[in-house]
Amino acid sequence: MRSLVRAASSAFSVSVRLRVISPWAYLNWFVFPLLFAAVGLYVLSRPGASGSHLVYGLLGGGLIGYWSVAYIDGGNGIQDERWNGTLEQIFGTPTPLFVIVLGKVCGGLLFGLLAFIPTAALAYFGFNAVFPNLDAWRFVISLGVLTLTFFCIALTLTPLFALWRWAFSMINGFELGVYVLCGFMFPIAVLTPWLQGFAAVLAPTWAVKALYASTLAEGPHDFVAWWLLAGALSLAYMVAAYFLYMLVEREARVSGQLALA
Amino acid sequence: MDKAPAIEARQLRKTYLSTRGVFRREKVERAALQGVDLSIESGELFGLLGPNGAGKTTMVKIFTTLLLPTSGTATVLGLDAVKDQWALRRRIGFVFGGDRGLYWRLSGLDNLRYFADLYRVPPEVSRRRIHELLDRLGLKGRERDRVELYSRGMKQRLHLARGLLNDPEVLFLDEPTIGLDPVGARELRSIVRELADIGKTIFLTTHYMFEADAVCDRIAVIRDGGIVAEGTPNSIKDLVKDQGVVEFEVSGMPTQSIAGLRALPGVRSVAVVEHDLAQLVTVQCSRPSDVMTQLSGILDGIPLKKVSSREPTLEDAYVQLIGEAS
Repeated sequence: MRSLVRAASSAFSVSVRLRVISPWAYLNWFVFPLLFAAVGLYVLSRPGASGSHLVYGLLGGGLIGYWSVAYIDGGNGIQDERWNGTLEQIFGTPTPLFVIVLGKVCGGLLFGLLAFIPTAALAYFGFNAVFPNLDAWRFVISLGVLTLTFFCIALTLTPLFALWRWAFSMINGFELGVYVLCGFMFPIAVLTPWLQGFAAVLAPTWAVKALYASTLAEGPHDFVAWWLLAGALSLAYMVAAYFLYMLVEREARVSGQLALA
Repeated sequence: MDKAPAIEARQLRKTYLSTRGVFRREKVERAALQGVDLSIESGELFGLLGPNGAGKTTMVKIFTTLLLPTSGTATVLGLDAVKDQWALRRRIGFVFGGDRGLYWRLSGLDNLRYFADLYRVPPEVSRRRIHELLDRLGLKGRERDRVELYSRGMKQRLHLARGLLNDPEVLFLDEPTIGLDPVGARELRSIVRELADIGKTIFLTTHYMFEADAVCDRIAVIRDGGIVAEGTPNSIKDLVKDQGVVEFEVSGMPTQSIAGLRALPGVRSVAVVEHDLAQLVTVQCSRPSDVMTQLSGILDGIPLKKVSSREPTLEDAYVQLIGEAS
């Protein structure tokens, strides 16, 4: 068990090191969230808009950056490993792929959290945006639950990218879909009912809802129910992940799909 | 009681399934291994020779638990490569040829530390072993440089160090010298020989005959997924000991002349290699003097350059085996 924890922490460390030296990582956690936040804050700060709407600009850019980095770590990370020829090498070690991916995803989450720094700075200094009614504890718990949901989604999707190259081609579609469906930049109440149905089965939707609610006074807020929903959906993803990793461990050995050739 | 073999394959088969076509897709089956039987003793340096696509890499990947066979059994150190993959992975190492398979943007040391953790080597052991491997493989002093700054030979030595991190009892090397310059390849071969001398069982695939001849205790030749010959390098050479080799260089040799050569009595194989504007022709035959006598008639006035006759080598045996099988 100790050696598995060490393997996961080593995967985490390598993931962070590779991000520190990768210009692409800076685009994901710094440049893109800043752009999204700037556009959002500009639109939401127009005359007539409610002051509380600025919260969506303030948090939205950071959420987009956070999700992108966490999710991309699963998709791009695995594809990079394939291109580098290291996917087969790590698969052939006595450490289960699940443990390695777990470490890598944690590295992505840590880096993703950084996205909140430039967007919050822009919101505060550029648009004078602040949280109007911040409930600090609920905010922290909601951010923790959100992290759990991102962790579980990234961990669940990664084996798909490892096994099926076509899954990688859908990476951008799903990345952008989650921005919209989970209400990163605007409340999902503005979506059509059938889209809201899709949103409801995505665990981050409930965590994001709780996160925004913890900064706004208007109610009614049902934090516990939202956290539990997000947690239950995350648990369901993990059950799916368990079977997916078993499938990957077997199918990759049948088809030889881990090698580039 | 006989000692159990370190590596064993029984009726090993592997078939890949793929699809072809764009609008009307059809499934295609390709047999990479067709009922291979193989047994390698502990401490042996065993070479598997074969042309590209013969099934060498597939066999290595099955033994290293990266692939599942379609049927048959593959065991390493008495462990089933299909069912006992976790226990087996701790006791074997593998190195694939080429310079991919490393994190180029990390240092050599970071690469080794990472893989030592993935191989679940205890930290106190991995620190000592990494230090020893860097020293032994001539990477000391460059271990903190990024891998992208390494030469091809250094990358391959780093690959080898990675493959030895868990002090494996069996090491699989898949074309480890491919793309290396002659000096780098020679260095690597000598390291491989040293590893065999300290008791490691080594399974080496290559298509360089001199490499197999120089380092291997025993070799097998694989063609189209089947073993066509097995034995010591000398016993494989003995397959062509009653023969000689005639080599000559010509320009613009027509196909009828090649067919004419093949039809001569005692000719076993004719290989033609295009070299700039000339063709280098190698004829394996039982009576070289007869071939040389009839050569001018067959070539029908085409000027001959550099005609020579020599003893057959392992490469000639290999060419004959591959030719016979096809």
